[in-house]
Amino acid sequence: MQVDLAEALRYLGAGQADEEFLKTVRRVASELEQAAQPKWRYRVAKVEHTERGELAAGLCLTGNMAKTMLAECNQAALLICTLGAPFETLLRRKQARSMAEAAILDACGNAFVEVGCDEAEKEIAARLPGMYLTDRFSPGYGDLPLSIQPEFCAALDAQRQLGITVTESLLMVPTKTVTAVIGVSDKPQMARIRGCDFCQRRENCTFRKGGRTCGVS
Amino acid sequence: MEFRELLKQNPFLILDGGMGTTLQKNGLKPGDVPELLNLERPELIASIHQAYVEAGAQVVYTNTFGANTLKLKRTGKTTAEIVSAAVQLAKAAVGDRALVALDIGPLGELLEPMGQLTFERAYDLFTEIAEAGASAGADLAVIETMTDLYETKAALLAVKEKTSLPVLVTMSFEASGRTFTGCTAESMARTLEGLGADAIGVNCSVGPDQMGDILKTICRCTRLPVIAKPNAGMPDPVDGSYSMGPEEFGKLTAEFADLGVTIFGGCCGTTPAFVREIVKSLKGKQPAEREYDRVSFVCTPVTPLRIEGVRVIGERINPTGKKRFQQALLENDLDYILELGVQQEDAGASILDVNAGYPGVDEVEMLPKVVKKLQSTLSIPLQLDSSNPAALEAGLRVYNGKPAVNSVNGNAEVMARILPLIRKYGAAVVGLTLDSSGIPQTAEGRVEIAKRILDTARGYGVADEDLWIDCLTLTVSAQQEQAAETLKAVRTVHEELGLQIVLGVSNISFGLPNRGLITQNFLIQAMHCGLTLPIINPNQTEMMDAVAAFRVLSGEDVGSNAFIERFADVPKQKAVPVPGGKEELTLELAVMRGLQGDAGRIAKELIQTEEPLALVENYLIPALDKVGDDYEKGVLFLPQLLSAAQAAQSVFEVIRTALAESGAEPVKRGRLAIATVQGDIHDIGKNIVRTVLENYGYEVIDLGRDVPPEVVVQTVEEEELRLVGLSALMTTTLPAMEETIRLLKKLPNPPMVMVGGAVVTPEYAEHMRADFYAKDAKESAEIVKKVLG
Repeated sequence: MQVDLAEALRYLGAGQADEEFLKTVRRVASELEQAAQPKWRYRVAKVEHTERGELAAGLCLTGNMAKTMLAECNQAALLICTLGAPFETLLRRKQARSMAEAAILDACGNAFVEVGCDEAEKEIAARLPGMYLTDRFSPGYGDLPLSIQPEFCAALDAQRQLGITVTESLLMVPTKTVTAVIGVSDKPQMARIRGCDFCQRRENCTFRKGGRTCGVS
Repeated sequence: MEFRELLKQNPFLILDGGMGTTLQKNGLKPGDVPELLNLERPELIASIHQAYVEAGAQVVYTNTFGANTLKLKRTGKTTAEIVSAAVQLAKAAVGDRALVALDIGPLGELLEPMGQLTFERAYDLFTEIAEAGASAGADLAVIETMTDLYETKAALLAVKEKTSLPVLVTMSFEASGRTFTGCTAESMARTLEGLGADAIGVNCSVGPDQMGDILKTICRCTRLPVIAKPNAGMPDPVDGSYSMGPEEFGKLTAEFADLGVTIFGGCCGTTPAFVREIVKSLKGKQPAEREYDRVSFVCTPVTPLRIEGVRVIGERINPTGKKRFQQALLENDLDYILELGVQQEDAGASILDVNAGYPGVDEVEMLPKVVKKLQSTLSIPLQLDSSNPAALEAGLRVYNGKPAVNSVNGNAEVMARILPLIRKYGAAVVGLTLDSSGIPQTAEGRVEIAKRILDTARGYGVADEDLWIDCLTLTVSAQQEQAAETLKAVRTVHEELGLQIVLGVSNISFGLPNRGLITQNFLIQAMHCGLTLPIINPNQTEMMDAVAAFRVLSGEDVGSNAFIERFADVPKQKAVPVPGGKEELTLELAVMRGLQGDAGRIAKELIQTEEPLALVENYLIPALDKVGDDYEKGVLFLPQLLSAAQAAQSVFEVIRTALAESGAEPVKRGRLAIATVQGDIHDIGKNIVRTVLENYGYEVIDLGRDVPPEVVVQTVEEEELRLVGLSALMTTTLPAMEETIRLLKKLPNPPMVMVGGAVVTPEYAEHMRADFYAKDAKESAEIVKKVLG
C-alpha cells in the first residue's frame, strides 16, 4: 500500500508546495512504506437495537450517531487498523534527526492509516456480497464516546492480534491506530457523515478560511 | 517431580492448550476479566485443567494470563488474591499428574519509549505476580505471549531474582519473523538465554503452518530446550472460528520435533482434542539433533549484530577531553548525547561505546538514563563503558537486548567484581591486557594476561565468543616500539585464542601532525592482524573508508557491493545554487531556506568577529520572523518552518560550542517549561513548539509527555519560571490540563500559562483560565516573546 500524498499534504497545512518540498514528502512517504504497512482486524457482528444503544459483539454503541448510522443495519463490522510499533520507532528516529521531516512523517502516518481503513473496508465489502455498507464512524467523533475504546479493542483481541493497548486516558498505543464501525445493511446506504457539515474542524479550518475545502467529501 | 527433572527424563514435554478461547466458549464476554473466574467459577477452571491433563498435558498453565495490578484495577481484587487462588485450584485439580506453571502474560500497557510504563514499574508489577505464585506453590513460571523484549526482560528478571522457580519464556511472532515491536527471533533467543531462561520458544499469533522458520532460527540460536505453542490457525473475522482442526494441528505441530523442538502445546483456539493429537503425532518421533550457531553477538531487539568481520564501535560518547560533552553531562542534557549517537549511527558505527563517568556526575544514576535515552531512538547495540560495577549493573539492567561491557582486565579483584555481572545479564565483555602491575611491554606479556582473563571468564560461565580482548594501543610518538608489540599481540590472540579483538585505535597518533594518516595506517595494519572491533570516530571518513576497503579485500563485502555503493555518488553536489546567480548566501538566507550545513558554516565565520547575542538578534530572529510570516500567510508548509528552525539550531550549536570552549555562560533569552499533560503521549506537537522556541534562543525545559500536574508545579517553583506551555491532543486529557492550570494558579506567584494542541480551542483555554491560547508553534513563539521579551 502507498501513502496518499495529497491527503498527507492536507494534514501539513495550506502551503504552496514547490518541487523541492514535494520531493521531500515523497521520500519520507516511501521510507514510511518500507518501515510500516497498515494492518487491520475486523469482526462482523449482529446488531441489536435497544433503548441503551446499539449492541454489537458485547459492545454498547451509545448516542445519536450510532443510532442514525445503524438504523437500517442488522450487522456491523468493528474495524481496527494500525501502523503498529514500527511507525513509532521511525518517528522517534526522525525527530532526533529532523523535526521538519518528522512533521511530514506524522502527516504521512495519518494519511496512511486511512488508506489501510479504506482497504479493510474493501475487504469487508468483498466478504459480504449483496450487502451495503454505511460510512465509517469512530469512537471520539460525533457523540460516540471514546470511553468504549478499551472494550472495542478487547472485542477485537487487539492486543494479541495487533499489539495495541489502550491507556487509562483512552489513548491507543501505538498511536497511529484507528477504530471504526461500519454498518452492514441489505438496503443501499446514503452518505451521512462526510463533508464540511459533519466536520469538527469546520470552525477553525484553514482551507475554509481561504474559501477552499480540504477535498474530503 | 521437579520441572528440570521432568525435562531430562522425557524426550518431549507436553504443555496444555488454550485457556482464554475455552473460557469464551463457556460464556466469557469481551471486556470481562477471565482471572476473576478463579474465584467465581473455580470448578470450571479446574475442569479445564483436568481435561488437558487427561489429553496428555504434563504441565498446565494457571488462569493468570492477565492477573496483574494494572488489569485487575477495576475488579477490587489484588494480584496476590487471584494468583494464589489460581495456583491452588490448579494444584488441587491436577494433583501429582501434572506440574502447575504460573502463567505470566503481558501487562497490557506498553513500556517506554512506546508507552508510558517504566521498566522499573514493570519489574515491580511482575514481582507481585512471581512472589504470589511461588508462595502459593507453583512448580514453575511461564512468561508468554510477549511481543516486547524489554517487558520480557523485566518479567524474567523479576522471576529469577524473587523466586527460585524454573522459567519458560515464549514470545509471539508474526509470520514475518518479527514481533509487533520489531524484535527478531535471533535477538530474542540469544538475549533470553543470556538472562537465564530455562526454555524459550514461540506461542500464539499464528498457526503451526506459519511458525516453522521462526522456530528454525530459535533452534539454531540457543542451547536451551525450545517450545512451540501455536494457535489453531487464524480466526475468521466474519464468524470468529479458527481455521485449523485438531488433526492437522497435531500433525503440523509435532513436525517441529524434526527441527529440534522438544516442548509442545497449543494456544488460542486449541482444546484438549488438539493436545491429544500432538501426543499422537509425536509417537515414534525422536528429538532432532541440533547444531548451535556459535557466534560473537550483541543486539538490540531490532538489530541482531553478528560479529563476522570488522564492526566499528563508535567512541564519541565519552566526556574525556570534551568540554561540550562534560557540560552536557553536568546539565543533564541527554539530547546532546543522543545527537552524538545519531551522528555515529548514521556514519556507519555498528556499536556505540557509552561512557557517562565524570567528576560531579552520579554515574550510577546517569549511565542507565543515557542507555534509555539512546535506546529510545537508536537501533544499534551499545557497549557500556565504566569501571564502576554499580553503574555497570544499573546500565545492564535497563539495557534492551544483549550489550557489551567495557571492561575487565587481568586484575583478579576487578574480574571478581565484573564477571558475575556479565554472566547474570548475559553480556559480552572487553578484557584489557593489563593488570595491577600495569601494561606489559611485550606482546607475550599481554597474551599471557589475555589467557588469564579467558580462563577466569570460563570459570564464571562466560562463553569464549563473549570475551573480546583489547591489546591496548600506546602512543607511537612516545613509545615507538610499542606499536609493533600491540600488532603482534593482536595477531597472537586472534590466531591462538580465536577471540574477538577490540582496539581503541586513535591513541596511536597523539602528538603527531596529520594524525588521521597515522591512525588510518595503524587501523589497516591492525585489521590485517585480526582486529575485528576497532573503537574509532566513525565521523572521520578516512577511517570508515579504510574499513570499507578492508571488507572488500577480506572478501566480506561480496561483489564489493557495499564499497561501490559507498563511493557511487562521490563527488556529491555541494554548492547550493542561489536563484539570481550572483546573490551571496547570507546567514539569513541560509536559515530561511533551511540550509543547515551552510548556516552553521557561515555562523562559524561570523562568530570570529561578532558577539554571540548579536548573531541571534541581528541575523537569526529576523530570518525566523520572515519564515514565520510566510507560514502564517499559507505560503510555506509547517515542515519548511521547521527546516528553518533546524538551520537556526545549527547556528546555536556553533554559539554553544564557542561559549563552552571559552568557559562563558550560554546565551539565554529567558526560560520556560513545556509539557504534554498527564495521560497524553502524543508529543510531536509539543516537540515542534520546542524546536521553534529554542531557535528563537529561549531555554526550554522540556518535561516530556504524560507529565503529572505536580511535576509541572514543582518545576515552576524550583526553577522560578514565569511561563509554562501545556499541550493536549485528546479530549480525554483536557481535564489533566485544567487540573495542572488550577494547581499552577494556586501558587503564591502564579506563572503565565499558554495552552495548545489539537482539541484545545480559544474558548476552552479561557474556560480553563489559561492566559494564552496558541494555535500553532509560530503563535507560541509570539506569545513567549510577549511574556519573556
